[in-house]
Amino acid sequence: MKHSVNRPPTPDAAEDQGKEPPLQEIINVKLIESGEKERLMELLRERLIDCGWKDEMKALCRAHVKKKGRNNVTVDDLVHLITPKGRASVPDSVKAELLQRIRTFLMSAAL
Amino acid sequence: MCARNSIYTNPKPCKHLADYKLRHGFNTYDSIRNCLKTTPNGRTRVAKHTTKIPRCSFCDRYQGRLYFCLMCSSLWCPSHILLHAQSEKGHEVAIDMDRSELYCCLCCDQVYDPDFDKVVVCNQVKDLPGGSKSKTNSFEASGERSSKRKRLDSGIGLDLKKSELLVSMRDRRAKSCYPLGLRGLNNLGSTCFMNSVLQALLHAPPLRNYFLNDRHNSVQCRKRSGEKLCLLCDIDAISSAMFCGDRTPYTPAHFLYSWWQHSSNLASYEEQDAHEFFISVLDGIHEKESKIRNSGKDDGDCQCIAHRAFSGLLRSDVTCISCGFSSTTYDPCVDISLNMDTSNLSSSNANKPIKPDEKTSVSTLSGCLNLFTRAERLGSDQKLHCQNCQELRDSSKQLSIRRLPLVLCLHIKRVEHSLVRKISRKINQYMQFPFSLDMTPYLSSSIVRSKFGNRIFTFEYDNSNSSAAYEIFAVIAHSGMLESGHYVTYLRLKNQWYKCDDAWISEVDEGIVRASQCYMLFYVQKLLYNKANEDSSFVRISPRRDPFESTAGCS
Repeated sequence: MKHSVNRPPTPDAAEDQGKEPPLQEIINVKLIESGEKERLMELLRERLIDCGWKDEMKALCRAHVKKKGRNNVTVDDLVHLITPKGRASVPDSVKAELLQRIRTFLMSAAL
Repeated sequence: MCARNSIYTNPKPCKHLADYKLRHGFNTYDSIRNCLKTTPNGRTRVAKHTTKIPRCSFCDRYQGRLYFCLMCSSLWCPSHILLHAQSEKGHEVAIDMDRSELYCCLCCDQVYDPDFDKVVVCNQVKDLPGGSKSKTNSFEASGERSSKRKRLDSGIGLDLKKSELLVSMRDRRAKSCYPLGLRGLNNLGSTCFMNSVLQALLHAPPLRNYFLNDRHNSVQCRKRSGEKLCLLCDIDAISSAMFCGDRTPYTPAHFLYSWWQHSSNLASYEEQDAHEFFISVLDGIHEKESKIRNSGKDDGDCQCIAHRAFSGLLRSDVTCISCGFSSTTYDPCVDISLNMDTSNLSSSNANKPIKPDEKTSVSTLSGCLNLFTRAERLGSDQKLHCQNCQELRDSSKQLSIRRLPLVLCLHIKRVEHSLVRKISRKINQYMQFPFSLDMTPYLSSSIVRSKFGNRIFTFEYDNSNSSAAYEIFAVIAHSGMLESGHYVTYLRLKNQWYKCDDAWISEVDEGIVRASQCYMLFYVQKLLYNKANEDSSFVRISPRRDPFESTAGCS
């Protein structure tokens, strides 16, 4: 049997990168390029300190280290410990403020 | 530049880091020097890929933590960096890109290396406006000042050690077994504010010893100054009265009269604020001393007993938000006034309920101290002139303690002013406080160090010689309302607490003290506390003075 030489190669499923990057990524790129992301991160850090969120997380970590012993805890342990609780306890006001800032930024960037 | 740090114990490097350093030394540290980028607020990032977004080499993730392998400069997220380290031999050490902190991929944990920290900090200091030159100058200047201060501090320490006149105190007249110096003070008409502060002052080890060693001789004082009025003479009289062994309540009338002369604006039978009184007494002592010595020395170097005991140095760093330039000023202080940490208790709980077993609803002394040393962003109506930007900019201010005093007086501000209703209210909130206090986290060396991230790098002017460990010896508690209330002092002598309520002295359990509404807390350096509480019942007769000579004020 002869192989058809002109048959195009079977498209490799893993190489199917033709789709557009997701919206989230585009926004992220824009934020980083303009330096806005850094400013937002600073603002977020400040707000989380003000509302006591940082102190709460610190207390959680301390309690965990006390329980397990100083030499038996790794950074990864602590991150896995406080990530769900941390995400859940960010005050709504902080989320709202950041969302507003991002919206404003996007509107000005789109112009 | 790296001095031995005796306050913190440096964490030991893990096996992998140690091996890595043996193999490569500082080579890779130096190579990332160029990739470090510092933001104005002091965070250092690894910013090699300025065009592309950093992503994990395995899963393309760009959110969250990313690690930069020191060997091959590849990027990995926490989930996949272990694979990289396991598959490539020698690629165990990486840097957290956002924080510039070392990470051991095989231990899955943060590791520390002073040499790495040195590279990061040098880079950071170089990048910030003000440059490396001015920073090293300020370090050296501070180093000189700190060594001078060390000499002065050890001066008073030697005095206490050499004191030959440890008062003989197998007192025959003592009716009770209370320790020496405990004596009630009669209330002369709403003077509990005065009595409470006097009790605390007279039992502060440096002052107690100062008066017991007859460092202020009334006869010589009158000869020298010619004035009849001297607060120190009066306190000396009270001190003698307290320690003479007579347990009947003493009436400090002469002192009250002298103090009225000094602070005539506060002279009345109204209830005064204990803290205000405390400040005015120290002021009165200082004034008299500086008149005698005719010196215009500022508070920082003053040798009067008030300053020798209570004077500390506060450091204030004001940083420009835009460019990171910061200016530092030092101010002497005789006490620290703390706002209560009540703000974070209501706002966060209102939004999302936190589990009830987490203790976020108690106000603590460490919370108040954290609040005091927190970097605070000044409002946009308080823009300051930045020398680097040459214009008014938003700034942030941070306080820290440059030098701790021998006796640390912490004043808890329990007044709340409502601008809306134009009234002041007393905050009755309970505040937890420890009996043993470690002030290390609030020192300038700790606060400044933390600006550079998680470093173990130390600075030249670390006050590693002077202790930051304190023991409490007096608590002034207030009960009642703002206008009308009552002050009592709890004294801790030889690990037993005593309540001094004007003329009434009683032994109390430490639980009572902990539950009280503290207004002023008096801590003394641990070494002095231990010395003061040694058994002093033996006799040491000084050749100069007969210990059984009757002292003024004792009937």
